[in-house]
This record gives sequence, C-alpha cells and structure tokens, in this order.
Amino acid sequence: MNQGSNDIRLLLVVGIAAMLMLFISLLLIFIFTQRKKLQYQNELQAMQNAQKNQLIEAAVRSEEIERHRIAEELHDEVGAILGASSLHFNSVRIEEPDESNQSLYQKGKDLLDEGINKIRGLSHSLHSSILQEFGLNEAISHFCSKISHESIIEISVTLDNSYPTQVGQNDISIYRIVQEFIHNITKHAKATKIFVRSIYLNKTLMITITHNGKGLTQPHFEELMFKKNGLGLKNIQNRIILLKADLKFSHHAGGYAIDISVPID
Amino acid sequence: MFKVFQLVIDWSEVWALLIPISLLLLKKQPAVLKPVVFYVWIALFINLAIDLTWKIRTILPAEYNSNNYLYNLHSIIRFFLFSLFFIKLNQAFLTTVKKVIPVCFLVFVIINFTFYENFFDYWKLSSRLLSVEAILLLFYTLQYYLFKINDHVGVNIFNSDFWIVTGLGIYVTINFFIFLLYNELTIRMQHFAITLWNAHNISYIIFNLFIAKGFYESRKQ
Repeated sequence: MNQGSNDIRLLLVVGIAAMLMLFISLLLIFIFTQRKKLQYQNELQAMQNAQKNQLIEAAVRSEEIERHRIAEELHDEVGAILGASSLHFNSVRIEEPDESNQSLYQKGKDLLDEGINKIRGLSHSLHSSILQEFGLNEAISHFCSKISHESIIEISVTLDNSYPTQVGQNDISIYRIVQEFIHNITKHAKATKIFVRSIYLNKTLMITITHNGKGLTQPHFEELMFKKNGLGLKNIQNRIILLKADLKFSHHAGGYAIDISVPID
Repeated sequence: MFKVFQLVIDWSEVWALLIPISLLLLKKQPAVLKPVVFYVWIALFINLAIDLTWKIRTILPAEYNSNNYLYNLHSIIRFFLFSLFFIKLNQAFLTTVKKVIPVCFLVFVIINFTFYENFFDYWKLSSRLLSVEAILLLFYTLQYYLFKINDHVGVNIFNSDFWIVTGLGIYVTINFFIFLLYNELTIRMQHFAITLWNAHNISYIIFNLFIAKGFYESRKQ
C-alpha cells in the first residue's frame, strides 16, 4: 500500500516535471525563432528603406543636375544669342521721318529685351545662383520678394540669421520644398497673406509657412500625394524622405500652417 | 499566517478570475477573444458555486454537498470554449483536426458518462474527463506554436492570443498528471490529494494572470 502510494507520488512529480520541461522548451524555441524572424524582417525592411532612399536621392540629384544643365544652356547659349541679337538690333539706324518703322523697331526691341529678361529669370529659377552664392536664407527671401506683389499677395519672411550662409548639401532640397509650397499656396490656396518663418535650434531647422488661404490638412495631403497628378507633392515627399525631415500640416483659427523640421548634419 | 494563506489559495479559483474580468470592464474585447470572455464569466459562477459548496458543505443537505459534478461541468465548458477560441484564430494549420476534436470529445463525454462513470458522482470528480480535456487542450496549444513558428511573424510576437494560449498551456501542463491521478490519490492519500489541489489553484492563478495580460494586450492592437 505504502509502496504503491510512493510510486504514484513519484509518477506525479516526474510527470509534472517532464511535462513542464517539455512545454517550457517548446515555448523558448518558439520565442527564440520568432525573435530571429522578426530581427531578419526588420533588417530586410531597413535594407529596402535604404535602397528606396538611395533611389529617391539619385532621382532628386539627377533632377537638380538636369535643371542646372538647362539653366546653363539657357543662360550661356540662348541668353548669349539673344544678347548679341539685341546688340545688333541696337546698331540698326531708322530714319526719323519713317514713323511706322520706328514703332515696329521699338516694339521688336522691347520684345527682345523682355525675352532676355525672361530667359535670365528662368535660368535663375532653375538654378538658384543666389542660393549658391548667399545661402538658403537669402535665396528664400529673394524668391518670396519676387513672388510678393502688394495688391495680390503679401509674403512676410522672418528667417533665423544663425543658420549658416555656407551652402549645405541639403539646402537645395529645402529651398525647392519652400519654393513648391509657396507656388502651391499662390496657385491653389488663393491666399492673400503668407508668412514664412524659420528657427535654427539644436542642429534642426524648423520652417513654418502660414497662410490665410484654403490650405491642406494632414489627411488631405496624404490623399493628394497618391494621386496621379500630385507630382509637386510627390517631389516634396521625396525630398522630405531624402532629408529625413518631418512634415506636418495643421489648421488653426488664423489659417493653415505647414511645419517642416529638417535635421542639419 | 498559514491559515490566511490557505484561505487565499482556497478561494483563488474565484478571485483569480476577477483579474481578467476587471480588464473586461474597462474595454470591449475583439470578436476573436469572445470565447475566452464567455469562459471567464461562466467560470466565475461555476467556481463560486464550487467553493461555496465546499465551504458550507457541513450545513448543506447530504445530497447537495458535493461539488465534483461542478468540476466536470467546468471541464466540459472550458474545453468547448477554448476549442472555439482556437478555431476562431483562423490559423491555416490542422483545420479539420481542430474541428473534429470537439466532436470526438462530445462523443467521449456521452459514452463515458453513459457507460463508465457517473457525471454526478458524489465521491469523486472524473479524472478521465479532466485529463482527456487537459491533453486535448495541450494539443491545441502545441499546434498553435507550431503554426506560429512556420507563419510570417507579425510586428508584435507577444500579442493577446499568445498570452492566453501560453497561460492555458502552463495550466494544462501542470495539471494533466494531477487530473490523471487524482481519483487514485483521493483513495490512497486523501490528505495529500487535498494539499495537491493547492498546486492546481496556483496554476489557475497563473492562467488567469496570462488571460488578463491577453485582454490587456488586445487593447493595444
């Protein structure tokens, strides 16, 4: 009787211990394999993201190179030809009494000068020489003053002077983002007042663009970004990814705001 | 001190269930966890009846002072609700087997209590029923892990169903041999059998803590 009881007790203890050991072993194998798989997936995801960023970077850089090339062509080739044409045009002598020819001559001269100015403007817009020479703050200020027109749109600019004037590798992308947003605000939001402000703190440049037009909210921006015709917004998003920046849209009582936060290396 | 500890352990089958239930009151659980939600509510009432019957057995009429049939009932309900839970997880692994097992268990229960054992046995709970239930639930938990090992891993390994399945796995692992040998122990070593039930109660507390963790995790998903 006693021997039988001891056997049952032994069987019980050994049985529970064996079952627990088996179960815990399986649980540990499960957790270990899941962790390994998760780590592998995260690494794969990181590699895919890095590859995607490289592609975006290549696309953005090649776009900039192409813009630069077209700007140089326009400035050096077309601009030089138009400049020479203007010189030749100015050398032409029209007799005083011939009033009809005088007026045609004047009209042609005006159109040629306008063409030269347009080509120069286009060339500067494609390749911001101001950015290259004077830095981001000056380029943004200059761009805004060009767009601003008292009777149509008023753009106020307050930029942090502590931001370095020496051009950084990301400045062109920041400039393009601001350029695209201001274009969009004037074209789509129908704003009459725009305020551009920047703060440079702890190696982070924070640019805020506020306006009184019909702007975008965060969900609206995300929706538009995936539409076929939203090329400008896609470009902005690509540059944001490239800069590892943050972009936020919000709506307040005073109007709409776009906050761009860019880490500066 | 020991008496207080014993009292806490004796009532653990009731108060331990209040841990996951308190989380249920804070937030509604997803549809996939509904069988577990039903289980904790039903188990609370059955276990309350079990413990009350045990504690006031001396003042109850003789024919009503056994709680063994409530353990049998609890075992059957627990098995079917957790089978439903595993089926509702929709894991594409042994799907037919998982659906056939409850039917087999039902046939087993009918045959066992028709020909071999008495469901309302005054002197003992059904060791056969509880141990078969435990081994089948253990099979369910093992197939869950095997499926997960071969499956694409999600962002969070430790999700709500993982905690519930692990809690159930620990509970049935510890209790399979206790259930299997319990009838024999009550005959040969009654005092040891009563003491051994503390181990069951502690594993039941662990089981409920894991269920509570599962309910808590479901809020994040």
